[in-house]
Amino acid sequence: MSEITVLLCRCFGEIDQTISFATVREKLDKDSNISSSICVDSLCIGRDIDAVISQIRESGVKKVLIGACSGLARGDQAVQNLMDRGIARADIHLVDLREGCAWIHRDNPDGASQKALNLIDMGLVFLKNKDESDDVSVTMNPDVMVIGAGPAGLAAALSLGRFGITVHLLERSSTPGGMLKLITRSYPKDDATTPRLEQYLDQIEKSSFVRFYPRSKISSIKGYMGNFKVRFSSGEEEQSITPGAIIIASGAMVFLPNGLFRYGELGNVISQMELETRFKKGNVTVKNAVFIQCVGARCKDRPYCSTICCPSSIKNAIRIREDNPDTNVFILHRDVMTPGNVLEGYYIKALSRGVQFIRFAEDNPPVIKGEKIIEAVEVYDAITGHTRTIESDLVVLSTPLIPNHDNQHLAEMLDLQLDRYGFFREIYPMHPLETRMDGVFICGSARWPVSSGQAITQGEAAAMKAASVVLKGEVRAFTFSRVPGLKFGHARVTPDSCTGCGNCMAVCPFDAIRLQRIDGKYAYVSRVNKMRCKACGNCVSVCPNGTMQMPEHNYLSVCKMIEKAF
Amino acid sequence: MMSRNDEHNEFLIVGGGVAGITAALDLAETGRDVQLVDTAAFLGGQVAKLDKIYPTDHCAFCPLWTDIKKVRDHPRITVHTSSTLQNISEKDGQYTIVINKVHPVIDESLCIYCRRCLQECSAGAVRPLWEHASPPSFFIDTSICTNCGDCVDICPTGAIDLNRTAVEIVLTVSDIIWATGFNEVDLTPLPEFGIGTHPDIMTSLEFEEWTAEAGRNEGSIIRKSNGNKPQNIAFIQCAGARDQRMLPYCSAVCCMHALKQAQWVKRREPNVVCCIFYTDLRTVGRDYYEYAIRQLEGMGVHLIRGRPGLIYALPDGDGIAVTYENTMTQTREIARFDMVVLNGNLRPSQAQTVEGARGPSLDSEGFVDTTRDDLSRFAGGFTLEPADIAESVIQGSSAAIRVATKTAYKR
Amino acid sequence: MTVEKNKIRQPRILVFACKWCGLIGADGAGRNRVSLPLNFRVIPVECAAFVEPDAVIRALASGIDGVVVMGCHVGGCRFNDANHHAIKRLELLGDLFDTAGIGRDRLMVSFGTAHEDHQFADVIRKYVDRIEQLEPLEPWVTSLVKK
Repeated sequence: MSEITVLLCRCFGEIDQTISFATVREKLDKDSNISSSICVDSLCIGRDIDAVISQIRESGVKKVLIGACSGLARGDQAVQNLMDRGIARADIHLVDLREGCAWIHRDNPDGASQKALNLIDMGLVFLKNKDESDDVSVTMNPDVMVIGAGPAGLAAALSLGRFGITVHLLERSSTPGGMLKLITRSYPKDDATTPRLEQYLDQIEKSSFVRFYPRSKISSIKGYMGNFKVRFSSGEEEQSITPGAIIIASGAMVFLPNGLFRYGELGNVISQMELETRFKKGNVTVKNAVFIQCVGARCKDRPYCSTICCPSSIKNAIRIREDNPDTNVFILHRDVMTPGNVLEGYYIKALSRGVQFIRFAEDNPPVIKGEKIIEAVEVYDAITGHTRTIESDLVVLSTPLIPNHDNQHLAEMLDLQLDRYGFFREIYPMHPLETRMDGVFICGSARWPVSSGQAITQGEAAAMKAASVVLKGEVRAFTFSRVPGLKFGHARVTPDSCTGCGNCMAVCPFDAIRLQRIDGKYAYVSRVNKMRCKACGNCVSVCPNGTMQMPEHNYLSVCKMIEKAF
Repeated sequence: MMSRNDEHNEFLIVGGGVAGITAALDLAETGRDVQLVDTAAFLGGQVAKLDKIYPTDHCAFCPLWTDIKKVRDHPRITVHTSSTLQNISEKDGQYTIVINKVHPVIDESLCIYCRRCLQECSAGAVRPLWEHASPPSFFIDTSICTNCGDCVDICPTGAIDLNRTAVEIVLTVSDIIWATGFNEVDLTPLPEFGIGTHPDIMTSLEFEEWTAEAGRNEGSIIRKSNGNKPQNIAFIQCAGARDQRMLPYCSAVCCMHALKQAQWVKRREPNVVCCIFYTDLRTVGRDYYEYAIRQLEGMGVHLIRGRPGLIYALPDGDGIAVTYENTMTQTREIARFDMVVLNGNLRPSQAQTVEGARGPSLDSEGFVDTTRDDLSRFAGGFTLEPADIAESVIQGSSAAIRVATKTAYKR
Repeated sequence: MTVEKNKIRQPRILVFACKWCGLIGADGAGRNRVSLPLNFRVIPVECAAFVEPDAVIRALASGIDGVVVMGCHVGGCRFNDANHHAIKRLELLGDLFDTAGIGRDRLMVSFGTAHEDHQFADVIRKYVDRIEQLEPLEPWVTSLVKK
């Protein structure tokens, strides 16, 4: 029974000057699977495609094998040309004869012809054994859930509200604002945070799209992109919502420098956050203030730079100098982390305001002198090579942000990845807010320590990503790839032979497989979530009895391809 | 969901780098029409020219090409490559934009990459478009081309038309996102860096291209002057940056860029001595500091705090002398290096307008001033603020939502 | 000499190339017309994780002398951490081959090292050279599969 047409593209001589199409066609004509082999000048440019198509139509053959260049070159165009003329994608298979054979074996035409024949044979068995995954479509729920009402979460919620998307804004504490509530000014513009926060809260209140849930605690998150099911309690009330996308903006915590630099032992050794609290109460009047940077950061326990501590110290140093120009302010640092245009300008501003920067080495940190109160800070200035003793009555320890404790809990519920410190991890730098779960986005300090300005930018960006998910409306699972058009199906289980061993569930990188209890029996069977599955094939490799298969590229076709390879 | 007004909005994005691509995709995915303009012949901007990206050490092109493919295939995005802005005029809240689109002499949609034009061309004007361009294609460097017409005759598909001229395209858009990225500043006004005096003194982007795995040297570390393996390489940070004479700001990406390059030199040639001369090692992102630590401990890259005072070619015509003060030991030293890589001379690209045309408002350093309530309200990427890939992508997305919801955000 | 006789003359090598890395390298090699030995055939797969250990054994049993699996960088996989699983699995398979006396040389696992044209060519050439040094598989292996 002949069921496949082979289209051989000459590529204007590029392929058939090495591969002898006469030999190939002679062999192919003997194959009973092939109805005919057609040789054309080019399939991508499409001058004689229409003639070819009518020829295929006449013969009544459905499946087409193209022998042309690679898909990355112009092969995709050739496939597209056939699809435009009414041949289904599932019935087309592209074999790379140009990059994969003709061009790399130009010194051996006979061998290349043989190899081309093998490649075509492999393609034929692939096409013959190819099955089609059944597609499903899912309607995206139009709401978005934002976890955390700090600057990032507020920005995300407001942006989505402007889009006309209903937002469920969940907050652990009773009032929104997050870290913005704790600080009085934000860098680098030194603008007061309270008016901005009030403006936000006002907008939240006015917006008919944002629903704010204070004192909320998430108990479970289930589902997948477009169709999450979240149960949480807000105050005493139990709530349940079905958002289409989730934005995590749960923020971070401040590290308390217990035991470092005599913190807790001397009265005026305070952390940066305590200084902010003092500013909240009123002006801070001291004679000499010393800031120590990298307290508990860039060390063995926390080998990361927390981004915000240097600019925060600069902000408060400038403020102290401006409130009281007689105060001497010293910042003891290891590197001044002010990258970029605005922050470098901020650093220069601090220098021009008379803030003194002294560099110390990691292995020779400053020492605070004094019995009951601070008398002086002794520091080895690494640049001048002298040890300096700075009389001081206030030492501010600049501490990093550390990840929230419940990140782990949230990550487990959503199957997200945390980095080695405990912050949420993105998939890769090109997609910095997307996580390994589609439809879940991270922003703000939950992702990595950021300033309030950056958190707002990230919140907006995450809102954009979430909006592009929920505005999709109805989506077919096949389009659920990180690259449209390149996903080729999803895994399929044959329930009768599934032993329920759970191997597939253990290795699935997208958490797409669950074990389901068979009714009335103490036995389980795997179930594939087609929306989550990305067709990587990991489950296929570990399945002990071949129950799990990729219909498009099943084990049978792999075996047959191997047989035909030489 | 969307108000009626929004549905008819069309947006212009200037710049097809990572920020522009992201903004375009985000807007298109939420149902907006986008016009994407770039001066280069291909999308991807500066990231497409990089060999590796930090901190993952993966190839830069892998994550990028799928996004470029998405942009190219998206029905709502119109891409104008090799195009420059000619004129922008504003009327009733709509911008009318005239772009000058230079059609490539070789039509990409017809080129089958057969190389016949390349072999035929005696002037050497035919070059591959880009190592990983998909579909691959050639372009003709019109500055070298002699218009002999040999390539036109030999091209089997008729893709070459030497008379192809530029066309003017008029677009009407409701808002513009500037994502023009950055370019390198010429360092010759600062003679202490010795650029131009020795072929082995190069800028970091030149070095990236020189040692790229997809480049002509296939990832081998060799000197430009004589093709030998260098004994040692100096990476000079803040060359031209954080310098009141040239760029007063910090370019943000160069510290990690130098660490990445030093790491790849070490991976390929473990015996080459790498020294990084830095002022502050600004490693603020996720895993960046650990990346730096790994350099110090694992690979034996030397970090020297100090700014070289003078870099010059030695009289023997071979080595390069670097005089510097190691500020951590307070010693003045002079060292001989085989190669010198200058990092930091990055400047926001001026928007690609022809002279006299209206562009975005810029601040004193040349960054787009988004606080003004005019056509410069929306920007993302390096042109807004020195930013690495992740930061640019975030800014691109955030500019996209601001432009879609018409909210200017005062930074 | 008799030893010479036992060397594999024209090794047959099967390459499983991930579409995101190895296949791009293969494509680049073709694009730049790098001349390569004829001895390999490429089966494109979506991800290196798709390569079943069973398929590798089957390949060796059906007369193929060596199998190469090409995937993305560790951590750079399109499918989150799918290639971590693949590496673990294939390393284990290598151990199994050592134990069985087939030798782990028969399986080459190359992650993130074949994404450029010359690197792909390098991997293929070196592997062909290495397989040429080996003796043909013992009959018990090739009799595992009935044709």
